[in-house]
Amino acid sequence: MRILVVEDEPKTGDYLKQGLTEAGFMVDLARDGLDGLHLALTEAYDLAVLDVMLPGIEGWQVLQGIRKAGKDMPVLFLTARDSVDDRVKGLELGADDYLVKPFAFSELLARVRTLLRRGSKTKEADVLRAADLELDLIRRRVTRAGKKIDLTSKEFSLLELLLRRQGEVLPRSLIASQVWDMNFDSDTNVIEVAIRRLRAKVDDSFELKLIHTVRGMGYVLETAE
Amino acid sequence: MMLRRRKSLTTRLTLLFAVVSSSVLLILGLVIAELVERHFEDMDLELLEGKLELIQHAVISARAEGDFDGLPAQLDAALIGHHGLAVGVWGSDGKQLYLSEGADFPQRNYLPKQGSPLPRTWQGKEEQHYRGTSGLAPTGAEGEAPLEVLLSTSLTHHEHFMQSFRLTMWAVVILAALLSGFLGWLVARRGLAPLRNITRRASDITANSLDQRIEAGEIPAELAEVVNTLNDMLGRLKESFDRLSDFSSDIAHELRTPVSNLLTQTQVMLSKVRSIDEYQDVLASNAEELERLSRTIADMLFLAKADNHLLVPTQEPIDLKAEISGMLEFYEPLIDEKHLQLTLHGNAEVDGDRLMLRRAVGNLLSNAIRHTPEHGFINIALEIEDEKVRVRIENSGETIPSEHLPRLFDRFYRVDSSRQRAGEGSGLGLAITKSIALAHNGSVSVNSTDGVTRFSLWLPARKS
Repeated sequence: MRILVVEDEPKTGDYLKQGLTEAGFMVDLARDGLDGLHLALTEAYDLAVLDVMLPGIEGWQVLQGIRKAGKDMPVLFLTARDSVDDRVKGLELGADDYLVKPFAFSELLARVRTLLRRGSKTKEADVLRAADLELDLIRRRVTRAGKKIDLTSKEFSLLELLLRRQGEVLPRSLIASQVWDMNFDSDTNVIEVAIRRLRAKVDDSFELKLIHTVRGMGYVLETAE
Repeated sequence: MMLRRRKSLTTRLTLLFAVVSSSVLLILGLVIAELVERHFEDMDLELLEGKLELIQHAVISARAEGDFDGLPAQLDAALIGHHGLAVGVWGSDGKQLYLSEGADFPQRNYLPKQGSPLPRTWQGKEEQHYRGTSGLAPTGAEGEAPLEVLLSTSLTHHEHFMQSFRLTMWAVVILAALLSGFLGWLVARRGLAPLRNITRRASDITANSLDQRIEAGEIPAELAEVVNTLNDMLGRLKESFDRLSDFSSDIAHELRTPVSNLLTQTQVMLSKVRSIDEYQDVLASNAEELERLSRTIADMLFLAKADNHLLVPTQEPIDLKAEISGMLEFYEPLIDEKHLQLTLHGNAEVDGDRLMLRRAVGNLLSNAIRHTPEHGFINIALEIEDEKVRVRIENSGETIPSEHLPRLFDRFYRVDSSRQRAGEGSGLGLAITKSIALAHNGSVSVNSTDGVTRFSLWLPARKS
């Protein structure tokens, strides 16, 4: 997967490139709008991350240029101002998602993956698996090593999210919004407690732990220790 | 465009005084002049009638002595000392029997015509004014027609008097205008002295001396209200200003502490080579701290927007019970962990911004959960009172001392100022709830008695 990052702030640009590269993407970094637009139009990308406050030409113009050229790759824009106008403008110009600076890198990564997944319309499996853990979406049943695990409906949704996005570190805010539709940052440790309870049911009595805490980032479900 | 100069109150009062007093004096003078003139007329007529009577007597006595030969001498004697008085006597046949010196009658040949008496006043040949009358003088002899008499008196004397009277009057009026204008100016200046005082005091007050007040002691009753209003305004300004500077210092404090922690921790870590685990540990802890910082910044931005009236809630129908139930599902792990008893009663719908209202109620809920001891209870009730919806969230726990209650919704306000971060809240949650309530034309309130703390969020009920 190739990603284009257009970001003029040197440190942010470098970290975005490093972070996304380490997450397994091929990343091109453009330091200004003109370069960014040029790359976007000449190379083939699966996604673009675009800062809207750029020297040279603005991010909005880059976005317009991309859409005018008929490129329909997902575009995620970054803005420093959390104003409704900015958001509406970006989405009207054809952006797919946005993040307000400062943002957590894990949040960016999660959004990038969501956008990339949206593009590929593979049929979702009815049963999600990780090691000996099975989650049957149709029968709404969870088993581990053949033993049934009783989960509340929210625990089920939480586990489903973790399983669908195996190997991805999911930030708390993303979990809150996907599972509970809570779209504001809560200052409580609800997610932590919810994960702990889920872990007690799913992991505690087994040797192989599946749900892991990545400190400062979020939670991930993976089969490798 | 018409340019109107702003006149000072003193000028206005001065002019007003001058105009009023001179008009009053002028009217008075004109009335007096009129009265004097009328009095002169009466006096003249009385004089003329008296003289006519005298002439009538003289005519009778002259006739008794024979012919009218003695009449002129008699009349001359009678008229001595009466300057300006003129008399003419004619027989019924038109023969002039007597005409005093300087007589200046308006009728031709001085002959009075029957039925056409003299005009009351007239102008003579030498531009002089006269007043006159006419009459008949019976001779006293049988069968003889009476004589005709004309009398006039000169008005020159009166005119002189009236002229000097008018002159004096105008002089007095002008003088009075000047004098009362000056007095008006003096009075206005004295009367407005308190106002100047207030101005001086008010202009002395700066942002640093907002606790100063304008003293109402020596101020006249009319101005007391102005002073009170000004003082009230100063009070409100001071309050806002204090809050603002509290907020600024709170921001500095809230941000400085974590930033200096981060800095110290990072520098200590860098001071020597450490294991990867240690690096990871510090980086993770830094990430957590930074996340909290960025949340605090986002919250402060939200509040700044609310302060500048930039929070514009959308208006969509919201079923509060459904929303709160959804949120309780989110908080369920925490509620379960603390073994809290939870109830939700009532139903209510409002129009508002779903995301904002969730945030407002969510802050109240997480606050309640945080402060309820284990095995405590939280009761949530949705009530409709007077077209207002009340979301009441009460929890068991320590009673909050009443002096803290009014400030609970202030930014960064903590009941126990020494307690920092104990409850992991940013200290902005309740302030945000209040801002959201205000943006929805609602309000918030809190009370705490007997181990139960009640937070209420009031919102306008949905218009049906």
